[in-house]
Amino acid sequence: MADLQLAPSRAAVLWRTAKEHPGATLGGVFIVVLVLWSLLGPLPYSSAATDGSASRQSPNGTHWFGTDGTGGDVFSRTIDAARVDLSLALAGAAVALVIGVPLGLAASTKGRGSQRIVRALDAFQAFPLLILALALVTLSGNKLYMVVVAISLQNIPRYMRLLRSEVLSLRESRFMEAATAMGATTPRLIFKHLLPNVWGVILVQTSLTIANSIVVLSSLSFLGVGVSAPTPSWGSMIRDGAGNMSSGEWWIAAFPGVAVLLCVLAFNQIADAIGDRTARSYR
Amino acid sequence: MTLSTTTSSQELSRPRRGTGALRLVASRLVFLVAALFGVVTLSFLLVSVTPGDPAEVIAGPVASQSQIDAIRADLGLDDPLWDRYTDYIGGLLQGDLGTSYYTNLSITSEIGNRLPASLSLIILSVVFAAVVGIGVGSAGAYFRGRWPDKLGRLGTSVFQSVPDFFLGLILIYVVFFVMGLAPAPSGQIGISEMRPEKITGFITIDALLRGEMATFWSAVSHLVLPVVTLGLVYAAYFSKTSRSTVGKALNSQQAQFARAMGLPERTVLRYAFVEARGTIVTYAGVIFAALIGGEAIVEQIFAWDGLGSWAVQGILRLDIPVVQGMVLVSGAITLITYTALDIIVGLLDPRITHG
Amino acid sequence: MTETTPTTPETVLDVQGLTVDIATPDGVVHAVRGIDLAVGRGEILGVVGESGCGKSTTIKGILGLLPPNATVGADKIELAGHGDLLRTPTKKMRHVRGRRIGFVAQNPFGSLNPIYSIERQFHELQKAHGTKVSKKESREIAHAMLDGVGIVNPDRVLDGFAHQLSGGMAQRVVIALATTLSPQLLIADEPTTGLDVTVQAQIMDLISGLVRSEQRSMLLVTHDLGVIAQYAQRVVVMLDGKVVEHGRVEDVMVDPQHEYTRKLISSVPKREELHDVIG
Repeated sequence: MADLQLAPSRAAVLWRTAKEHPGATLGGVFIVVLVLWSLLGPLPYSSAATDGSASRQSPNGTHWFGTDGTGGDVFSRTIDAARVDLSLALAGAAVALVIGVPLGLAASTKGRGSQRIVRALDAFQAFPLLILALALVTLSGNKLYMVVVAISLQNIPRYMRLLRSEVLSLRESRFMEAATAMGATTPRLIFKHLLPNVWGVILVQTSLTIANSIVVLSSLSFLGVGVSAPTPSWGSMIRDGAGNMSSGEWWIAAFPGVAVLLCVLAFNQIADAIGDRTARSYR
Repeated sequence: MTLSTTTSSQELSRPRRGTGALRLVASRLVFLVAALFGVVTLSFLLVSVTPGDPAEVIAGPVASQSQIDAIRADLGLDDPLWDRYTDYIGGLLQGDLGTSYYTNLSITSEIGNRLPASLSLIILSVVFAAVVGIGVGSAGAYFRGRWPDKLGRLGTSVFQSVPDFFLGLILIYVVFFVMGLAPAPSGQIGISEMRPEKITGFITIDALLRGEMATFWSAVSHLVLPVVTLGLVYAAYFSKTSRSTVGKALNSQQAQFARAMGLPERTVLRYAFVEARGTIVTYAGVIFAALIGGEAIVEQIFAWDGLGSWAVQGILRLDIPVVQGMVLVSGAITLITYTALDIIVGLLDPRITHG
Repeated sequence: MTETTPTTPETVLDVQGLTVDIATPDGVVHAVRGIDLAVGRGEILGVVGESGCGKSTTIKGILGLLPPNATVGADKIELAGHGDLLRTPTKKMRHVRGRRIGFVAQNPFGSLNPIYSIERQFHELQKAHGTKVSKKESREIAHAMLDGVGIVNPDRVLDGFAHQLSGGMAQRVVIALATTLSPQLLIADEPTTGLDVTVQAQIMDLISGLVRSEQRSMLLVTHDLGVIAQYAQRVVVMLDGKVVEHGRVEDVMVDPQHEYTRKLISSVPKREELHDVIG
C-alpha cells in the first residue's frame, strides 16, 4: 500500500476511518448529540412534569413522542434519561477496564496458577449473569453503586480473558523476545511494548462493554431495580409502557426502546470500526 | 519406471477408534462431578454471605425487632454457617432444596413444574436462532461483500443491538395488536384454557399425548412470539460466528484444493461447513446455557411461567431458597451442557477420536 | 525421454498474453502483466521467481480459481484437446479442473480434508466428475492409485485421516488424488515446500516419474532453481508479474541473459550439477 509509506497524520487516519465506516460515524455523532442535549438542554418539558389531563396522547405537534400514563412528555424523558443511563454504563465500563486490565496482565503468565484462574472465570460465566446482577443489586438494598459493581463484575472476566490471550500471543513474538533479551525491565516491557500493542483490542472491548452495560442497565431498570422514580431511565420507561403495547399505545415504550437500540448499535459499530482499524495497522 | 521410494508402515499410526473417545468422555465426567460440587457450594455461599436480611424483608417495614428475630430463628438464619451448609448438602442429597419463604412450595417441585416451560422455549429458540443465523452467516461468507452479505450484516448488527425484551414488546404490538396473527401474551396457553393433565410437563407434548388438539395448537401459537424474539436476538450471534468461521474455511487452502480438483461449489461449501461445525456447535451450546436464566425478562413479558420469571420474582422478594435453587439449576445445566459440548465436539473431530 | 524433437513437442498448454488485475480498496494491482508460456507433451516446464512475483496468481488464473475481485485477460489459454480455457463457461471449467488438469499444492495437510477419511475424499472426487462408481469400485481405484504412488499399506491409509499421515505420505495421497482422473497436465505449486529435506527428493522423483511414464505434462512452480535444474526441461523466470527470461534449462543455467536470473543462480547453494555454473 503506497500511502502507508508516509505515516499519515492522526486526523487523516480518523477522517479516513470515519469515511470507511459511516455506521460508526453516524453512531458517534448520535451519541455526542444525545449526551450534549441531555446535559445542556433545552427540553420542551421538565422530565418530572406530569399532566393528568394529557395522559397517553399519541405523538403530536406539542408532544413529539406522545405522553405516558401520567401525562409526562415521552420526548423530554427519553432525552433526559440518557444522562443517568449513559453515565452509569460508562462508570461500569470504566471500573471494569481499570480492574480488568491489570488483572488480565497479571493472569498472563503461562503457569498453572493462571490457567486455573481462567478456568474459574469460565465457571463464573456459567452463572446466569442477569440473575446475578439482579441478586447483587436487590440484596444490597437497591443501591445505585451496586449497579455499577454488577456491570463491572460481568465485564471484568471478559477483559481478563482478552488481555491474557493477546499478551500470551504477543509474548511469542520476535520483538518481545528481543526486548527481553536486551534486558528490558518488567514495567518497561509492559508499558513500552505490551500495552501499546493491545491498546486497540482494549478500546474495542471497552466500546463493546459500554454497549453491553446499556443493555444490562435497561434490563435491570425494566425489572424495577436500580434507577428508581422519579429519575427517568430508558428501562423503567419501557416498563411503564410495556402493558400499553398490547392495547396499542406503542409510543410510551417504543421511543426509549429505540434510544437503547440506537446507543447499543452506535457503540457496537464504533467497536467494529476500531477493530477494523487495529487489524489493518497490524498488516 | 520403478518407484524406489516407498514408505515404511511405521510412519502411519494405527487408527484406534474408540479408545480416544472413551478417554475423552471419562475425563470430562470426572471434571463435571468436581465442578458440580463447586456450583452447589457457590450457590449456598452466594446467598448466605451476601448482605441484606431476608427476615427484615419478609417481616415488612412495620415489624418489631422481636418479630424479625422470630422469623430469623424460624428460617434457621442464626445457625452457624457450617451447620447450615451441611444441612443444605444433606437436603440436596435427598432431593430437598427447601421451601420458598413466601409460598411455602417445595423448591424441587417448583423447578420440576417450571423447567419444561423454560426448556421448550429455550430449545426452540436455539434451533430457530441456529437455522436463521447459520443460513444468513454462511450466505454472507459465500457472497462476501455482495448484497446478500451486506443485507445479512445489517440485520445482524441491528438484532445484536436490540434488547430482547424490547424486541418482544415490538413483536407483541405488531403481530398481536396490529396484525392479530398471534395470541395475547398470556403465557403458555390462553387464560381461559385448561392445561392438559401432566405427563411430561411439556404442554405441547402432553396435549398431543392426551389427544387435545385445540390445546396443542394454542400452545404452539403461544410459543411463536417468544421463540421468534429470543431466536432473532441470538440468530445474530450465530450469523456472526458462522460468517467468520465458514468464511475462513472457504478461503482455506483446503477449499482451494477442493476447487482445483473440480469439486462442485456445494461440495466445497459442505467441506467448509464440516470444518466449521465444531465452532458452531460450541456456540449453540453456549447460547443454550446462557439462555437458562438469560431468558428471564422475555418470560416476564410473555407471562411465561418458567424458571426465569420465577427466579426474578424470587430475587425481588429476597426469597433465598428460590435464588439458591435457580443458581443451582442453571449452574448444573450449564456445566452439563459444557461437558456434553466438549464430548460432542471431540467426537465430531477425527483428530481427537483417532489420536 | 522418447521425444526426438525436443524443440517442437506437441503443445499441451499454450498461454499467451495472460494478465491478472486485482481490485483492492487501495486501487488496482497489476499482479500479472502479460505472460506467455507453453508446455509440451511429456515436458516439465519450470516457473521460478521469488514470492510475490505472480507465480501462484498465474496458476490460479489458468485454473480459473481467482476471487471475484480479480480480472483475468489473455490472448489465449489453449488446452490441447479442449480449447480456450478463458472462453470456457464456469460450469465446464469445473470439469477441466481435476479431470484434465491435476493440481498439487504445497503443504499437503492444508490440501486434505481433516474431517473426512482418505477413502471418502477419493469417493467425493469421483462423484464430483460424474464417474458412476460404487463405494467398492471407488475404493479399488483409490487403492490402486495409492499403490501407484508407493504407499505400502493402502487399506490402512484409506481408512485413516489426514492427521495420521506423515508429511511425505500425505503429499503422496494428494498426488494420487490429483492423478486419479488421469489428467493430461499436472500443475504443481511448490510441491515440496514444508516437507522434510529427505522427503523432498522422493516426492520430486515420484512426480517427475508420473509425468514421464504416462507422457503427461507438468507446470512446476517453485522458487528453488536447484529443483528446476534437476527435473525441468525448460524454464520461465518471472519477476514482478512478467517473464524476464525463458528457454531450455541447460541454456538458461549456463548462460543467463537477464541480470535477475544471474542473481537467482548465484544464490543457489552449491550442487554437483551446477558446479561449473557457479564456479
